[in-house]
Amino acid sequence: MIFLLRRLAFYIGAFFLAVTFNFFIPRLMPGDPSARIIASFQGRLNESQVEAIRKSYGFTGSLWEQYVTYVGSIMRLDFGISTVQFPEPTASLLFYAATWTLVLVGLAIFFAFTIGSFMGIHAAWHRGGFFDSFFTPINVMLNAFTPAIVALLLFYAFSLQLQWFPLGRAHSTSIMPSFSFEFIGNVLYHATLPVLSIFLVSFGGWHLGMRNVMINLLNEDFVILAKAKGLSDRRVRYRYVARNAILPQITALALSIGFLLGGALVTEQVFNYPGLGKFTFTAIGSRDYSFIQGQLLLLTASVLVANLLSDIANVILDPRLRT
Amino acid sequence: MSEIVQTPGLSRPLRAENAAEVLRPPSQAELMAELGLKSRPGWTSRLPPGLAAFVTNGKGMVGVIILLALILTALFAPLLTSYDPNRRAGKPHVQPGYEHVLGTTRMGKDAFTQLVYGGRVSLTVGIGAGLAAAMIGLALGISAGYFGGRTDDIITFFVNVVLVLPGLPLIIVIATMVETAGPPVIGLVLALTGWGWAARTIRTQTLALRAREFVLAAELMGEKKWRIILIEIFPNMLSFVMGGFVLGTIAAILAEAALEFIGLGDPNSVTWGTMLYWAQKNLALQSGAWWEIWPPCIAIMLTGAALVLINFAVDEITNPQLKASRKIGRIKRFLSRRGRSADVF
Repeated sequence: MIFLLRRLAFYIGAFFLAVTFNFFIPRLMPGDPSARIIASFQGRLNESQVEAIRKSYGFTGSLWEQYVTYVGSIMRLDFGISTVQFPEPTASLLFYAATWTLVLVGLAIFFAFTIGSFMGIHAAWHRGGFFDSFFTPINVMLNAFTPAIVALLLFYAFSLQLQWFPLGRAHSTSIMPSFSFEFIGNVLYHATLPVLSIFLVSFGGWHLGMRNVMINLLNEDFVILAKAKGLSDRRVRYRYVARNAILPQITALALSIGFLLGGALVTEQVFNYPGLGKFTFTAIGSRDYSFIQGQLLLLTASVLVANLLSDIANVILDPRLRT
Repeated sequence: MSEIVQTPGLSRPLRAENAAEVLRPPSQAELMAELGLKSRPGWTSRLPPGLAAFVTNGKGMVGVIILLALILTALFAPLLTSYDPNRRAGKPHVQPGYEHVLGTTRMGKDAFTQLVYGGRVSLTVGIGAGLAAAMIGLALGISAGYFGGRTDDIITFFVNVVLVLPGLPLIIVIATMVETAGPPVIGLVLALTGWGWAARTIRTQTLALRAREFVLAAELMGEKKWRIILIEIFPNMLSFVMGGFVLGTIAAILAEAALEFIGLGDPNSVTWGTMLYWAQKNLALQSGAWWEIWPPCIAIMLTGAALVLINFAVDEITNPQLKASRKIGRIKRFLSRRGRSADVF
């Protein structure tokens, strides 16, 4: 319990660092976001209107007052007003986009982690064999082919040339969102290629991680004892070695979510998928700071939650942490 | 006698008269041939052991050769092409041919010229950021592990923060705030956000080394702290620094390409990432101009693959059990031919 509380305190601290970072970055740079809006009206605003716009962006008062206001609005999930879709609050845009990104990243992580880990277990058990010496390097090399390139390759081959998959969107415009098989099937059909491209660049990491930890564990005394007791190969492999090897993998999984989310941002761009990446890209084009900052906070928060979940999973799986 | 299992080299039937010859223990050369071992070339014995292990590692050397080839083409770019990467060199979207080895882009610039000149920037930014990240990780990791106490707590907190904060979204925020994020800015940001893993592994390793006798001996002799860190601990850390450098470089090259691809870089600079950006923006794929988009893709993939191969070699040096595991198939067969149990593996 103390372990989890300490981790929780750390995550809250880390989140506040991200919030503080978000607060100071625009204030350190020349020309704040409100100045851009004001400039776009080309002097057609009077004093009080300028002041009102500056105030709505939280750029009035002392630095400390501004900071307190900023933290307060973040706590109320108020990320400001989007400049691209002007009166729309940024928060609702963020949550709409994040839903689609979660679909992509969730599916990709699930497949990459399970398939990669099983491949790693297999490679470590038959280490030095054909599977290990052939597929381990190839899978890991896929890791170094950035999501942008894999996505471009898949898009070119399956969407443009073979036309097996759609050219964009999360679902066909003709189907209304609902909890029907038709709609979910349509969403999965549209998500196939983006998920596949994130999957392809990430499962090699789980393969290598699992394999390397397993190989080191296979020479431990408790494994040799288990074999000497005549336990079945299956039992030794999964209950003895893999169970221990999965612990660092779960921690690494939580840490990698930030990387995967980054990959998803790029993938969505290629497949024209309406997730955070697509929206962030539009936001970058029009310098919509509230959205760009909001995506950092939202993604940071999701990585921190994932880390907390991995800590809880570690406590459940590893009795040594339950003190 | 009959239960002696025969080896392929000694497959004659056992008979009393040549039993003595059969029982002759196999020579070292025969054993090495059977186990698929090769003796190291003589010149490697003069190298330090870590370096010798690296140069005799097949995978690692393939990676080094690919990387060197890429670096050399980038360095000698002016000799390989006579065009200017920033200038129009012909009609837009000319097919690859004699005039333009890889065709021209939508803007009529020579694609091959952009590729080799772009390699200069991309590789410099990637390697520079990787090196800087490894150095920051080394300095913080060693200090945290060696000094312990309050220093360790503070450094570990920042290491964990850097590890937890999502890299690309963070860089997006910084890159949008500075008006044009040219390659140097991107490199700097990547270095400042990429040192987490290196610091963590080096800290763990320092903690392990600190408890060893040779460090204690140096402390008892009254050596200065910086001297112990530099002379006693640092040399044992080289392969971990190397690992941090290689992983940092992979991450930096990929992140730079991704950032510029989504349009956060300086679109006027010539790098592999901006080549992809322009190709995507000008719909090169949709209009069939494959030569505009695949060459930078292949260059980035080759760089990534080369660095991964080098990292395999570094991994095998820092973790010798991984290297030993490569030979286990042969050892198992070797033992089972002699009727010995190979179950312990």
